[in-house]
Amino acid sequence: MAVSRLQYIRRRLLLAVPVVFFIIVLNFLLIQIAPGDAADVLAGEAGSATPEYMDQLRRKFGLDQPIYVQLWTYVSNVATFDLGFSFRHNKPVSELILSRLGPTLLLMVSVLLISVSMGILLGAIAARYLNRWQDNTISTVVVLTYATPVFWAGLMLIVLFSVKLGWFPTSGMEKIAAFHTGLARIIDIAHHMVLPVITLTLFYIALYTRLMRASVIEQYTMDYVTTARSKGLGEKRVMWGHILRNACLPVLTMAGIQAGALLGGAVVVETVFSWPGLGLLAYESLFARDLNLLLGIFFISACLVVLVNLAVDLLYASLDPRIELK
Amino acid sequence: MLIRKIQKFLTLVFTVGLAVLPTQQVSAQAAPKAPPKAAPAATPQQGGTLVMVVQPEPPTLASFLSTAGPVGQVATKVYEGLLEYDFKLAPQPGLAKSWTVSPDGKTITFKLQENVTFHDGKPFTSADVKFTVFDVLKKSHPRGINTFRALESIETPDQYTAVFKMSEPAPYMLMALSGYESPMLPKHIFEAGDVTKHPNADRPIGTGPFKFVEWQKGQFMRFDKNPSYWKKGRPYLDRIVARFIADGSTRAAVLETQEAHIAGFNAVLPVDVRRLEKLSHIGMTTRGYEMQSPIVELDFNTRTKPFDDVKVRQAVAYAIDRKFVVDNIWFGFGRPATGPINSNFKANGLYTADVKKYNVPNGIEMANKLLDEAGYKRGAGGVRFEITHDITPYGEEWRRFGEYVAQQLGKIGIKVTLRQEDVPAWLRRIYTNYDYQLTNNWIQTLADPVIGVHRLYHSGSIRQGTVFVNGTRWSTPETDNLMNQAAVEMNSKNRARIYHDLQKRIVDASPIVFVHELDFVTVHNKKVENFLVSPLGLYSAFDQAWLQK
Repeated sequence: MAVSRLQYIRRRLLLAVPVVFFIIVLNFLLIQIAPGDAADVLAGEAGSATPEYMDQLRRKFGLDQPIYVQLWTYVSNVATFDLGFSFRHNKPVSELILSRLGPTLLLMVSVLLISVSMGILLGAIAARYLNRWQDNTISTVVVLTYATPVFWAGLMLIVLFSVKLGWFPTSGMEKIAAFHTGLARIIDIAHHMVLPVITLTLFYIALYTRLMRASVIEQYTMDYVTTARSKGLGEKRVMWGHILRNACLPVLTMAGIQAGALLGGAVVVETVFSWPGLGLLAYESLFARDLNLLLGIFFISACLVVLVNLAVDLLYASLDPRIELK
Repeated sequence: MLIRKIQKFLTLVFTVGLAVLPTQQVSAQAAPKAPPKAAPAATPQQGGTLVMVVQPEPPTLASFLSTAGPVGQVATKVYEGLLEYDFKLAPQPGLAKSWTVSPDGKTITFKLQENVTFHDGKPFTSADVKFTVFDVLKKSHPRGINTFRALESIETPDQYTAVFKMSEPAPYMLMALSGYESPMLPKHIFEAGDVTKHPNADRPIGTGPFKFVEWQKGQFMRFDKNPSYWKKGRPYLDRIVARFIADGSTRAAVLETQEAHIAGFNAVLPVDVRRLEKLSHIGMTTRGYEMQSPIVELDFNTRTKPFDDVKVRQAVAYAIDRKFVVDNIWFGFGRPATGPINSNFKANGLYTADVKKYNVPNGIEMANKLLDEAGYKRGAGGVRFEITHDITPYGEEWRRFGEYVAQQLGKIGIKVTLRQEDVPAWLRRIYTNYDYQLTNNWIQTLADPVIGVHRLYHSGSIRQGTVFVNGTRWSTPETDNLMNQAAVEMNSKNRARIYHDLQKRIVDASPIVFVHELDFVTVHNKKVENFLVSPLGLYSAFDQAWLQK
């Protein structure tokens, strides 16, 4: 029995609560395995410190408490949507994450949209012209971009387009010294986005193209394709009107899973292009043992993945009416 | 490159200002009109935005709580100190226009500049000095707790006089009063609430040539010109922007494309420096780090076998070709080291090269002989014994250095396994768990040996859980005694003699192999003029820096 879409969403969200809770506890415990704490790092950065100073730090961070007390404090705080305080940054975790979420989402959504749509298009073309020059070209290029390490591709794009040709800025999200506002700022950000988006897209596009190609080839053998052809539909109509829609499903599944990975995969690109995103923040806080911040980022990522997967499932139902929301 | 980035990202740690012992009679010095400076190439031009690359991004702007290197590069544009320093490492007037040390060394009287205001318009007075030093630095600054240990009270007979009263002479204290080491804070802002988590920690209000405007985490900090700065006509720049770029190759690229003007403390990696310095618009310098004096070293765990034996430690010291390490691993940025005190201290006589020499052509032969004497005979495959060598996680060059050490020790029959962890794990292993045999490391010898060197050898500095102190756990009553004497000795000749003796004894006992004195590099656009005006280098206020149009 199909339920209403709203009920479905509500149930899925309720089911997500224990999942997210489990993730929080697991993350908390995993992080404890890493030796050293935030006080070690801060004192290490200072180059020298007195024992009094280190004691002060540990007391302030609550690191003098037993693990189970720290865990309980953390979980009860999260339950009230309080992600805690980053002592390293001297700011609430939620504020830090919010300031970085925008740039990450901007990058991630652009990359996801471009690579999924381009991947679907290229994959469909490759399958349509199976084993002909179109297919061979697309397949070769795609394997090449997939095999190229992301950081290397990024650096090479910088060398070519920033250092040699001077078309794009090397790094950052905005022209720092200019402090643009309004439309000029939007154009400036778009200008800065080009290279990082291309770098990431090159990688993901390959994935979706391969997947789409395989999926379309499989659909070609289906009965409904034979039916469509026997109705006298042209190859074009069969391809774009019938096959495409069905062939998209595995690509979307993949995109849903990848959305989470993209948060993490963006670390490399964020580092190379100095993009002020969440990945970079997570990476820095790991090495600084800034546990509250790191757990906060994990929490937000987990929530994002849950939401994206929900969205993908809803999209399924509208792409293929045979799929029911249960 | 990714690995290099991961390690470099944490590139850490710089420290205090170096010190010279003030000469016996630091009588009231007449304040020169302007601080000493390198001869400017041309007349300064007004205006412009200076973009500097700071690596890594500072964790905070509270330079009164954190001495992390990148904090100093930005906070010093906003906060100033009582003193500045010249290239001879002698104190110069800053917010204090003059100072007098009493004959017994226990009283220092500072006369303050009289027309200084904070960025919020309130005047800077002796009450601010008293509050900053006594209530903040002495209590909560990572090194201030030590530097101001002997300080008993600060008297403020009038608005512009601050008198420091100490329980014993503390000659090193005058070297620790720069805007980087001891920033002067506004009492009216910071006295309310807990200074260690004050809301103004990241919105600094100081007396400096630039006002803090904003900090976009992960991107940049912006500082605008302070129009009512107390040094008339300065600063020349309209604005300073500090950018944070995590990847080393990208940092080199922004200097190449002129998107940024200056990057110091090896933010541009030595390998890239050698490439960039060939470009016509790029200049580079290793000056401006005279108050850091870092030394690259190998630390032994002297409490466990095999390195509890002085002969084994000396053998390792003999096995390292220091010139090879500097030239091939650090791209020539450094000089072979001789002992625990950096040769920068030659200026005030504390340094001596007259110590046991390990950097000799027949080092391997000497090392083998010592190991034979120590009773470690060669076994199967010529191996005497096996060790694990830890690698300090501050950059790619440390791994290569570790590989070199493994190769050299192989020649003397010590089989080496390398181990590399991240910063917190490594610090925990060396300074809390003492679970190591041999690690490479680098230590800054700081403002004065009392602050920078004693912590590594004094028995009182064997403090489990505190980083960058005596982790080798080597000490002797004789060396402890020498350090105790040097801390309170006011006569510079006597003090130098004590330190010469100390260096000999430490080098003989070899608890640490002194490999080389590391040079930091500043890479800059040639349009940037007059940024290097004191040994504090990038830790100075940049009030004299200007940009060619």
